[in-house]
Amino acid sequence: MSHFSTVKTELRQIEPLVQALEDLGLAPEKGQRPVRGYRGQTVTADLAVTMDQGGDLGFRWNASTGAFELVTDLDLWKQRIPVERFLAQLTQRYALNTVLAASLREGFQVAEQTNAQDGSIELVVTRWDA
Amino acid sequence: MPQRTLRFTIRPDGRVEERVEGVAGEACQQLTESLEAALGTVERQEPTGEAFLQPEVQSQTLPAHLH
Repeated sequence: MSHFSTVKTELRQIEPLVQALEDLGLAPEKGQRPVRGYRGQTVTADLAVTMDQGGDLGFRWNASTGAFELVTDLDLWKQRIPVERFLAQLTQRYALNTVLAASLREGFQVAEQTNAQDGSIELVVTRWDA
Repeated sequence: MPQRTLRFTIRPDGRVEERVEGVAGEACQQLTESLEAALGTVERQEPTGEAFLQPEVQSQTLPAHLH
């Protein structure tokens, strides 16, 4: 059963997504919420981060892919980093939170957590089995 | 009492690489499956060195001797 796997992370669950947004210093709100775009136009999302000067961030559930998708007016983008970088950071936090939660749930303990030079997060978890 | 060790590399783009070290047990398999449900689809799966260290099982059919 020993193997090496690579998983392309998709934002599939709302709780680790909320936590990942909070890790990035944002305040997401759950539930059907309006996401404001250009000239007060809105779309509805399942999770939204309201920004002070408009250009809200929303996440909408896509049933066909089984994952959440970002919905926002890119002309009003207010984050410090470009949208691609923002989504990458968010996905990394989501993945870390999910791995940590699943490891603890299965009885593993974190033995080591380090940040590598290339921006990767290295995590080692162990468990003693009877 | 064997120790199960899993090593994860979470890339800056969110890709997760998981490596099972030592003897993989059922717990590792459960954790892997639970992660795959929450994270996404496995792009690639390849055996690590230990997977080739299969316990040697030999079987031989012995003829029954009737005395």
